[in-house]
Amino acid sequence: MSSLVLLFIFYTETTQAQQFTTTNAQKLIFTNEDSLNAGSSTQKTVISGYGSAFYQRNFNQQQSVMTLERAVLFLGHQFSNKISFFSELEVENAKVEGGVSNNAEVSMEQAFLKFNLNANQYLVAGLFVPRIGILNENHLPVNFNGVERPMVETLIIPATWRELGVGFYGSSEKIPLNYSIAVLNGLEGENFEHGTGIRGGRPEGNLASANNIAVTASVQYYWKNFKFQVSGYTGGTVTLSPKGSDSLGLNSGAFGTPLYLGEADVQYESKGISFKALGVYIAYPEAGKMNTVYGNNTATGMYGFYAELAYNWLHKSNSKASFISFARIEALDMNATIAAHGEGIYDGTEKQTHLIVGFGYLPMPNVVIKADVRLLHTGPQNPALIINPQPNALPYQQNNQFLNLGIGYSF
Amino acid sequence: MQMERRKFLESACRACLLAGAGLLISDLTACNTSSKITQLPISQNTISLPVTSFLNDPIQIVRPDGWLYDIAVRKTGTEQYEALLMQCTHQQNQLIRGSGAYICTLHGSQFSLDGQVKKGPAELPLTKYSTRIDQGQLIIQLKTSTR
Repeated sequence: MSSLVLLFIFYTETTQAQQFTTTNAQKLIFTNEDSLNAGSSTQKTVISGYGSAFYQRNFNQQQSVMTLERAVLFLGHQFSNKISFFSELEVENAKVEGGVSNNAEVSMEQAFLKFNLNANQYLVAGLFVPRIGILNENHLPVNFNGVERPMVETLIIPATWRELGVGFYGSSEKIPLNYSIAVLNGLEGENFEHGTGIRGGRPEGNLASANNIAVTASVQYYWKNFKFQVSGYTGGTVTLSPKGSDSLGLNSGAFGTPLYLGEADVQYESKGISFKALGVYIAYPEAGKMNTVYGNNTATGMYGFYAELAYNWLHKSNSKASFISFARIEALDMNATIAAHGEGIYDGTEKQTHLIVGFGYLPMPNVVIKADVRLLHTGPQNPALIINPQPNALPYQQNNQFLNLGIGYSF
Repeated sequence: MQMERRKFLESACRACLLAGAGLLISDLTACNTSSKITQLPISQNTISLPVTSFLNDPIQIVRPDGWLYDIAVRKTGTEQYEALLMQCTHQQNQLIRGSGAYICTLHGSQFSLDGQVKKGPAELPLTKYSTRIDQGQLIIQLKTSTR
């Protein structure tokens, strides 16, 4: 009997403890489904995310790697029907320990406030991904083909490209047209690195210089089963003060030492067939001056384009599953033009062609299993850039093959 | 070997472009995408529009007065209609009408014209409102909704 009383007291106290330990903040954190069941509630916090892991075999190097490429946590909150907060916290390659990264990274991929002006137009302010290219806005692994993201949208368009700023997005009420314009912090030209295009110059919200700024804009148009887009970007790349930049012979200011990017793409989807093509060009006219100061051998012109054809073999079935086979051809050159007068050195290895063939199986739209093979061909290595010649280093091979296996999810 | 690889890549590229061009031509007869939005007053938690609105386009996008989200109304058969809230079920972003799909530009979710998830991260179908026909008017009941 006494045992029963003790058990009752224990149960009652436990239950009360559970009730008292639910804080107001916790009450606001619903699961995805809970918040949706909350219907038109004006206070909603949503937790979701995405991630991917892969195995890659590099046949030239006879090396294989496996990594948890990304694990991203979304946290969003709807303050009211008009104001929301969105964020993505990303951990790349699983582990950052004691400041030693080994290519790992913990970063905010997005964190911005969204202000709905009406059903067609809204403003965003904070750290966000501007509408440039296809992948930047659609970078979830379930939404692109291939284990790896397209090379052109990694090395030429440095997706996921996020910056701090303010953006205005809208869509026409009369015709199927979307538009966007955004003012962002500029790139840090001193951090451009030979071999990665402009990727190293993205501050990504980390104490970005506001001495130089950038403007980007895009237009999308839907016609039949096609979606067309053009986007552009221009911005200054010198982060120094006027005095500092003058002393180095660089043009400073909001759009000083400008970089221009132009992009166009088209996507098609019907009856299980999808096709996409993208072209991008970057012009950096004063790269030579930057190379003289910083010695990072940035090109004055870079280009990239790709085309992809895919077919979903299960499109006629009633199930939610997809089995997509695809082929993508990509060509890019990170030094299509270089500065004159010895202010740039051509590197043939930066002119690359990639052919990717593979498949993705999605048992449901939120989970994917992928496999593909990538064939790489590059131009020859410039002997002037070889620091460690044979026999200390193996001879450069212009052709390589990679086998990729991966998984991805989003929710 | 290098030349063979180059030729192979050139051929693959040409094949992709040809296939793309073929798709473009074959699609010329497909239906167009319109995004004209009709603003409608709310009366007793309902909105209404004439059924004749669907003569030219089986999908009409309507916006109840004061709402920040549109409703896509689709004629699915003789006197059969479906009304879907154009609000992403992932993080409540407004959807836009794409080609054969409703698209969220925030994270890339896509929904088919009947509201089912085509692409994640959304997992739940779009909110559906009940409809009825009364004297040539399609009445959409805003208060109760289902998935």
